[in-house]
Formats: sequence, structure tokens, C-alpha cells
Amino acid sequence: MTAVATERPLLQIRDLHIAFTSGKKDVPAVRGVDLTVYPGQTVAIVGESGSGKSTTAHAIIDLLPGTGHITGGSIEFDGVDLTSLSARKKRAYRGDRIGLVPQDPMSNLNPLYRVGTQIKEVLEVNDVARGKAADRRVVELLEEAGLGDAESRARQYPHEYSGGMRQRALIAAGLAARPQLLIADEPTSALDVTVQKQILDHLDGLTDELGVAVLLITHDLGLAAERADHLVVMYKGQVVESGPALQILQDPQHPYSQRLINSAPSLRSRRLMARERAEVRAEAAETALEHAEEVIGHGEGPESAGSPSSADAASADEFGGQVSAPVIRTTDLTKVFKLPGKGLAKRDFTAVDAVSFELARGTTTAIVGESGSGKSTVARMVLGLLEPTSGTVEFDGVDITTIRSRAQQLAFRRRVQPVFQNPYASLDPMYSIYRSIEEPLRLHGVGTGKERERKIRDLLDKVSLPAAVMSRYPNELSGGQRQRVAIARALALDPEVVVLDEAVSALDVLVQAQILKLLNDLQAELGLSYLFITHDLAVVRQIADQVLVMQQGRVVEQAGSLEVFDSPREEYTKRLLAAIPGRSVELAS
Amino acid sequence: MWRYIAKRLLQTVPVVLGSTLLIYAMVFLQPGDPIVALFGEKPISDAARAQLTAQYNLDQPFLIQWLLFLKGALVGDFGISYSGQPVSDLIGRALPITFQLAVMALIFEAILGVVAGFYAGLRRGRIFDSTMLVVSLVVIAVPIFVLGFMMQLIFGIQLQWVPPTVGSNTSFTNMILPALVLGLVSFAYVLRLTRTSVIENLTADHVRTARAHGVPDGMVNRRHVLRNSMIPVVTFLGADLGALMAGAVVTEGIFNINGIGNLAYQAILRGENPTVVSVVTVMVIIYVVTSLAVDLLYAALDPRIRYA
Repeated sequence: MTAVATERPLLQIRDLHIAFTSGKKDVPAVRGVDLTVYPGQTVAIVGESGSGKSTTAHAIIDLLPGTGHITGGSIEFDGVDLTSLSARKKRAYRGDRIGLVPQDPMSNLNPLYRVGTQIKEVLEVNDVARGKAADRRVVELLEEAGLGDAESRARQYPHEYSGGMRQRALIAAGLAARPQLLIADEPTSALDVTVQKQILDHLDGLTDELGVAVLLITHDLGLAAERADHLVVMYKGQVVESGPALQILQDPQHPYSQRLINSAPSLRSRRLMARERAEVRAEAAETALEHAEEVIGHGEGPESAGSPSSADAASADEFGGQVSAPVIRTTDLTKVFKLPGKGLAKRDFTAVDAVSFELARGTTTAIVGESGSGKSTVARMVLGLLEPTSGTVEFDGVDITTIRSRAQQLAFRRRVQPVFQNPYASLDPMYSIYRSIEEPLRLHGVGTGKERERKIRDLLDKVSLPAAVMSRYPNELSGGQRQRVAIARALALDPEVVVLDEAVSALDVLVQAQILKLLNDLQAELGLSYLFITHDLAVVRQIADQVLVMQQGRVVEQAGSLEVFDSPREEYTKRLLAAIPGRSVELAS
Repeated sequence: MWRYIAKRLLQTVPVVLGSTLLIYAMVFLQPGDPIVALFGEKPISDAARAQLTAQYNLDQPFLIQWLLFLKGALVGDFGISYSGQPVSDLIGRALPITFQLAVMALIFEAILGVVAGFYAGLRRGRIFDSTMLVVSLVVIAVPIFVLGFMMQLIFGIQLQWVPPTVGSNTSFTNMILPALVLGLVSFAYVLRLTRTSVIENLTADHVRTARAHGVPDGMVNRRHVLRNSMIPVVTFLGADLGALMAGAVVTEGIFNINGIGNLAYQAILRGENPTVVSVVTVMVIIYVVTSLAVDLLYAALDPRIRYA
């Protein structure tokens, strides 16, 4: 990997321009990208969504989606300019000489064919093997990709595989014809961290052994730094910086790379300190007081001073790390689902097993776990959306299962609000932003039309969105903006507790950092308590005071955030921490 | 699997009971005296009236009539029609004709609809696609009897390619035109369904991945696009077989085919309780069985579906 400079490059992209046709116009997506990959080298393209990194990768194998087309530049692979070839000749490169491991393992296998059949197809169309020989080779390939019991696995359908297994099968397919270059397009972004680590380790080992060059596409700087020799940072269709991975991480030149490195949660991250939070809080209280005086001076009530929780700011004692009565306490919370078993019998599946924790007022408790650990089920029970099988959820000293009357339920909902993962799905596309935020207010009969409008302006201001977005619709906003709207909507009823279920997981690093900062500021300002559900330990470090690590429905470790990160006790926690990409990379600052 | 099939077959019992009771009630409430209708202009003697009333249980309340009918139907005896023939014979003669017509229509609509829809979907927005969309819209919009009479006039009378009416000779060639007419509307739906499904599957991630693996375009389209697109189409086709048999009344009327639709229509006009109800019972059973077959076929096409 160091002596490659003298060799002939395997892939050389020069001044590549790609555009998408919209109406009669060409909209450029990639503007002048240069990129070189030497044989056996791993190069990572890093950038956020919309940066053109995937578009560049798809251009290499002539699979640009929709109206995308190359408008300039050249893609030289092993001395041949691919852009000058006919479609048929380009096709000959796909699979055979350039492999692909796609992003989402769930949607990239045909659900109607056995996994073995799909890998066999790759062998046959690339003239590697046929018939019985191909069947044998499929089993070898699956074994090589790290799937146990490969012979029977080959006969299974994709839906019988887990996400990690599917990705292994896709790696097997991508490498089946022994390509010289493997394009790995966010190969693990849909997987749990520990699975991600296993798969990447395996992919690393395989590509090293076979001498395959890898072009890794990722939004995760930590992952890129750990896996690649050479980094290419893309921003808005251009390469803003490229060079050896360590050099870029430790001494980024371009302002965008610097921002990216500063916001990458896996590389930096400390909890915003209690002292700072107390300061923010005091400041907010002061301005609120000034504002209130001003309003009273005009002979009006302090209605625009915001929420009740900020009105009683001066008397607050729950900050600066001081302890008070927990706002949420769960005791032996358990949820058992009935699954269909053999015959008429039902099988019990314990999704959540005796989970007890406390959420202190004004603080954040994070629940961390991989998919299937039961963390979201806990969130749904805390929200009162799912009845626990046994155990209790107490909110402010009251067991929420005893809340029966409609009025009491409404009161409970007012005080506990959720923000969900997918900002694309959690806002009604037919509702304007104004209507979306107004809905809870209207439902709970808060204020008159005029008062509600003032409240909505205030909320948008709190989440740093311009008042102009009120009349717009969700599809006109970016992911980050939508998540801000979802937060504004959750805050509309001045809740005391906000349950954030993977609320930043779908967002790009930079946007994620912004939203986390916003959540931190709002917590300091409004005295909110957060129950923060996530699979991403790196994020936890930035936001949480208390951490619960869950595995298969049980709490395996429960401690203060610093403690969990600096001296984890349990093996499982250590494994999770070790799996965070980029932890091993030393930063200059 | 077998449990599932048994469960589904058991479901037919209340469906058959309910639908026959409903039909019985409706025919019973129909105005007019069936015995008068039977004799037409001829005078009826009291003795003959008494005998017919007893024979068809017309003096019983309709619930009893219904129960008596069920008792017979259980052993395959649907009673005697007013014209004196066993109803099971009438159905036995008419059903194969309608079945032949419906199956021919189904094959026609499936082949033409899937092929045209597949190419329209692959060449979305081109001239073939646009033409097919307009054609299917016209077929759906114009009533079937208008199209039926037009095609009878053009192909049967002016061009004389096929006989204009079928009558008693139900050979394959005689039935082509009626089958085309019967399947025409469904052809339009199959075409549109296939087209939409193909367009959706063309942009599926696994299709792009297959291309990235080096699979040639034609093979990608056949193996990964067409088969995946067939799932909703097959569901529609299966459910359509029942609908085609029931919907054959108009087509059978136009081309003078002595099928089950014609039989039911004539029996309703005459107020022939046993015949009408028997036909309905048979149709209900056919419908339930075909929809079960469709669901099983669905599981064969899509390995994700498993019935327990």
C-alpha cells in the first residue's frame, strides 16, 4: 500500500462531470472529480448525502440512475477509457472486473430467488463456472464470506437471512468473479455496529488476501479513516480534499473537512458540561425575565415568555448536576409478545425483561442497544403506547397504567412527547409545517388561533428555523429541517419529558451534530428531560448523563455516561465500544 | 399448509348457506305466479295446479323450501326445472361451455396483457407505451356490449372471418371472438397492472445490483423484473376467472351461447327457483375454490408467503 506509487493506477478518474436532466436542463451533480486507485489499494470517498459520492461510484460501472449521464472527463480503468466504450463493452467490466457491494442488504437481493441461485447467476454470466461446478463454487464463496453451514444457507431465501448475513451474501456475490476493483457503497451503514465491525474486518481480510482494490463510499469519517489508505472528501459534487487518511484526519486543510472532523461523533465528543448547561440556563432565565418585564411594562401578561418550565426557571434546582426526584421511574418493566409457534401453541418472546431505570428531571438517560435489544419497546411503554406485561412506569410518581380517563390521558400526553427516527415518515406530507405543529395545540385546545400562531413562531425560533417555513410542506425541507420541525412539534405542548427514539440516526454527521447541539441547548433552556434511544454509542457520549446498555431485552450495564465510556465493566459494552469505527485513530487536536 | 386449505374450505360453508338463502328470498319475493308463467296462455286445471304446487313445495314457507333445497343439494340433487328436466343436467350442459369461454378469455387476456404491459413498462413514455395506454383506456371506458356488437358486426358479418353467433357448435374457432370480447376489459387491467409493476421493479435495488454483477439486460428483465412483476398480476388473473364466468351473461347473450349465464338469465325471467339457486350455488363454490387456488399459487410465486 505504500510502494504502489510507482505502479500504473488501476482506476484513474479525470475531471469527471455528471449531470441529471431535469426538464430540458442539465443539473450538475458531480463537477470535476479526480480520483486515483492503485491495485490493491483502499480509497474512501467521504461526504454527506447529496455530495455526489455514490453518483461518482455508479458512473464507473455505468449504472447512473434515471436521467444521469456523464457530461465530461474520463474514467480510465486498467488503461482503457470506460466512457468511450459501447454499452455492451462496459457491461463486460461489471461483475467480472469491477464488483459492487451495495448499500442496503435488505433490498439488494431478489426476494424470489434462493441466495445460492443469485450468486450462481454471477458465476454463470461472467463465465466463471457453470452447472454443478458453479453450485460447488457458490458454497465455497459463501463460506469465504463467513457464512456457517454454507451448503444449506445457499438453498435459503433472502428473507430467511439476517441483515448481516445478507450483506455477507452480497459480498460473496460481489467478489464471485474475482474482480480487480470492488466498489463498496456504504456497505454497512444499515447494520448494527458490532455486525458492521465483523463484516468490515472480514471484507478487509478478503480483499487483502485476493489483492482486490477497494473504493469505499461512506459518510462515516471514522470508518473511512480506519479502513482506507487514502481519503477523498467530497462536498457538493466536488473533491475538496484528498490525501493519505491520517494526514487528512490530523491536519485537514479545507474548511469543510475541518467541520466534518469536528462534528464526527465517533472522533470527538464529550457531554456538554453541567456547568455550561447551568450557564445557558441562567442566561435563558435572565432574558426570559427581561422579556417578561418588558411585556408587563406594556400592560400585558407574560404569555410570550414561553413555556411554564422556563417561567419557573429562577427557582430551578434540578440543574448543575444536582439530584432531584426522578420524573420517570420504571420498575421491572417487562414485555412478553406471543408469537405463533408450532401448531396451535403460541411461543412466548420476552422483548423486554425486568428493566428498571430512573430519569432524573432535566437530564438525559440514553438506552443503547443493537436491533432487537428491546430499546424501542421500552420507549413505547414509557410513552404509554404499549401495555407492559408486568412492572410499572411511573411518571412523576404516578403509575401510568392507572391513568384511564380521557382527560388524564391527555394531560399525560401533554407532558411526555415523542420524536421518532425517520423525519421523512413522521410528518404528514399533506400537512403544511404550520398545520403539523399546530395539530397538538389544536387537539389539546390550547389558546386561540392568534395565540397558537405566536406559539408556533416562537417554537420555530427555538429550533432555529425561519418563520417562512410555516407555509411550506415536508417534501420542500431537508432531512435536518424536518427533524427540527418534528422537535418543534414535540415541544409545542411544553412537555417535561421528550422521548427521542433514534431521533438523529437518519441524519448526516453535520446535521446530526447541529440537532444534538440544539437538543442540548433546549434542555438547558427549558429544563427538559430526555429519554434517548439509540444504537449509536458515539452519539450517546455527546448527549447522555446516564446510560443503559441493553442486550436481548435485559439491561447489561447501567452507569453514568463517563463511566461507561472510560471504564466499561461488562464484556458486551466493551465490545460495543470497540466496534465504534475510528476510535483507534489518533487526532492531532 | 393443509390446515390452511381445510380452514379455507370450511369457510365456504357459511358463504354457500348465506348466498343461497339470499337468492331464495329474492326469488320468493319476486312478483308473479311461477305456475302461471309456466303455462303461459293455456288454462290451468285445479288438479294440475295442486300437483305442481306439491311437486315444487310452493305451499311451504320459503325457509322450508330453502331447507328442502339444501337437503337435495347435499346429495347432488338440485331438483327438477319447470320444463321438466333435472337442474343438474341443465347445469351439467351449460357449465362446460361457460368454463371453456372463461378459460379462453383468461388465456387471451393473460398472454396479450402481460406481453403488452411488459414491453410498455420497459419502453415507458415511448410510442408503444402511449398507444397501449390509450387503447386500454378506450376498452375500459366503452361498455362491453358496445364493443361486443361492434366486433360481431366487423369480424362476423362484414369480414366473415368467424360465424357471428355460436349457437350449439362450441368449437374452439367459433368461440375465439366471444372469448376476445369477454377478456377485453380484463386485458386492459392486466396490461396496466403489468406495466406499473414492471416500471416499479425496474428501479428496484436488487435489479441494479444484478446489472452490477454483469447480468445482461435481457436476462435482468426476464429473470428479475418480469417474475417479480408477476405477483400482483397473477393474483388479479386468478380472481378474474370467477368474475369472467359470472360476467359471461352479456357476452353469451350477444353471441347466443348456451352457457351458464344464459341459463341463469332465462331462469330468473321465468321465476324458476330451483334453477336460479342451483346456478348461484355452483358459481359461489367455483369462486371460492379459484380464489383459494390463487392464494396457493401466490405462495408458490413468492417464497416469503407461507400459510400456517
